[in-house]
Amino acid sequence: MDAKQIAIGSSTRLPAVEKTPFYHIEKPVTENRGDHFLRAFAAVLEFTDYKALLDSYCTSSAKCNRCAVSCPVFMVSGDPRDIPCYRTNILLDIYKRYFTIGGAIKARLSNGFELTEEVIDDMLEVFYRCTACRRCTQSCPMGVDHGLVTRLGRYILSLIGIVPKALQVSVREQLEGETHNTSKVPKDALLDTLGFLSEELEDMVGVKMEFPVDKSNRDYVFFCAVSDYLMEPDTLMGNAAVLYAAGDWDKWTIGTTNYDGINYGLFYSDWHLENIVKQLLAEVTRLRGKNILIGECGHASRSAHDFVPVFGGPSAQPVVSFIEYTLRCLKEGRIKLDPNIITERVTYHDPCNIARSGWIVDQPREILKSFVPDYVEMTPKGQDNYCCGGGGGLVSIDEIHDYRMRIGGKVKAEQLEKTKADIVVAPCANCKKQLKELVEYYKLPCRVMGLHDLILRAIEIPGGKSPAERKEEAALLEM
Amino acid sequence: MSIEQWIDFAKGPLFALTSMIMVLGLLRHIVIQVYELVAGKGRRLSAAPWRKILNEGLGWAIPIKQIMKGTPFFSSVSYLFHIGVIVVPVFLADHIVLWEKTLGFSLPSLPSGWADFLTIFTVACVLVLLGFRLFGDRQRAMSRLTDYVLLLLILLPFVTGFLASHSGMNPFPWETMMLVHLLSAELLFLVIPFTKLAHIVLFVFDRLSAVHWQLRPGAGDKVADALFGKEARV
Repeated sequence: MDAKQIAIGSSTRLPAVEKTPFYHIEKPVTENRGDHFLRAFAAVLEFTDYKALLDSYCTSSAKCNRCAVSCPVFMVSGDPRDIPCYRTNILLDIYKRYFTIGGAIKARLSNGFELTEEVIDDMLEVFYRCTACRRCTQSCPMGVDHGLVTRLGRYILSLIGIVPKALQVSVREQLEGETHNTSKVPKDALLDTLGFLSEELEDMVGVKMEFPVDKSNRDYVFFCAVSDYLMEPDTLMGNAAVLYAAGDWDKWTIGTTNYDGINYGLFYSDWHLENIVKQLLAEVTRLRGKNILIGECGHASRSAHDFVPVFGGPSAQPVVSFIEYTLRCLKEGRIKLDPNIITERVTYHDPCNIARSGWIVDQPREILKSFVPDYVEMTPKGQDNYCCGGGGGLVSIDEIHDYRMRIGGKVKAEQLEKTKADIVVAPCANCKKQLKELVEYYKLPCRVMGLHDLILRAIEIPGGKSPAERKEEAALLEM
Repeated sequence: MSIEQWIDFAKGPLFALTSMIMVLGLLRHIVIQVYELVAGKGRRLSAAPWRKILNEGLGWAIPIKQIMKGTPFFSSVSYLFHIGVIVVPVFLADHIVLWEKTLGFSLPSLPSGWADFLTIFTVACVLVLLGFRLFGDRQRAMSRLTDYVLLLLILLPFVTGFLASHSGMNPFPWETMMLVHLLSAELLFLVIPFTKLAHIVLFVFDRLSAVHWQLRPGAGDKVADALFGKEARV
């Protein structure tokens, strides 16, 4: 397997994507970036508790290179800078040299490592060539979490103003703007969209569903990636259909003060991560909701699931992924999915943020297998699955589209092609965008859909048209 | 001092001193890690998924699945190397005598045939690992001088020990070989706590990334305050 993977890498070895800088930066700092970086690093070490981790990693990192063959970026680029351990060691070298006694002594004795402008440039690029998928962490015998170190590196860079403009502008709107969401969707536009979705659903299934907005004391307060309201109506209608069919229509709500589950803080900043989580919690508390229901989005699910307890304390509302919710409804017999509707071959892509930890791996498969007769797995799958190439916020950075297609997503495209699937299901806003671009770029005969887009086609709606009727109507419309 | 006296010195006081430094040096890592974790994470430690951390960690004790997933040859060699490098020094019959003398307790010893086999096997593993570093593109890109030096340093006590105990194969005087064996092992003891070999104990702490994802509430705001003042903007 090793030799083969390397063969793929070396036969397609491409020149590094030359762009200075790798991505757009709002206000690039040009002078003394090294000093600024060290000052920011010192502040981070003072107030956070990354020190234990850095102390342990910087002494024990064995550089065995097992991580290299697990990295879908390195497999294609063949660039040593893309070896996860190499990338991690840039930050560890800085830590060792400037923040440990051993490093200080070593620097006295010889001309060792120095934090130069070149090192800053290197970090600027390599930390954002990584998709933070954390596949390498599983292959590290020592358990070094390269994703966590890369994220820390990005965090410190962001504190000296080095952060992709696309991410920064979105986070600014989310935390400081009027709309409090990353896509700048105002409340009126949200209400319009919900009205439109409601009409569409009525046309499609023959039942009127008014979306519950700002209702108090509901079981679930719903958050999706806000971009879904603009780009993924089928996913949202699928979500609504499940809630309606399960008889939970009066048990959920969408808040209008904050309706964005996106949290780019997960990708590059502790500061933003915490404040965005708190903003989400404030909305749930305002509505006195009992659970936080996260729509189809990998990083939104993880940032809520993993960090609501961290920043909200043990009394914070539980976080439920919509996939978990749908499976529960299915198991309890509250929803029925018609197994005769989906005739295409379907495969499933695991979004890293929910699958890598083993949290959501089997649930979507159980749902899919219950109503998709021609379901195939991609290899590797589940916790070992490859990243789409758009993880870690990369998909939102338009100027690196070329990199994401040629390098970051190439392994995924090859893996997808081998399944010969007509539909790839990817329950994640970021994965969907990246996969759609990959399918177009590599001209794959494959459609990218959300899990609930597919469920929408097969779900039986009480009092509405049957899935078979809907399928006929849809076929007529397409003719 | 005669060479016999040197050997006695290396076996006695020097052995005690270097092993003491090694033990204390490794203990220092443990103390620092535990202190930093307890002081830094505090009550958040209890929120970490300890069972998962333990299960995943123990999964690496016999890592057949992991080995099959990537670099199977390199990983197998590396795994077997670790077995040799632990078992031979600890359970060799000649060393057991040493444990009895210095530590006061005995251990079951390896049959000499097994000991010979394991020693040669470990040496072979080191050579293969060295080959990977020298000739593997990926590994060479990552490797620094220390990575080679440490492998050679590990090789030395194994080779000299083997030759010292097999007079037929040993081209040098037994005493010289023994002294080099003792001194090289002691040098290894000295460098263990200060190099990546400290992963002997630190691997436990490296596995705690799930604990480190339990970020400190309020820290992000404090960092921003310190760097940009209270009016910090995104």
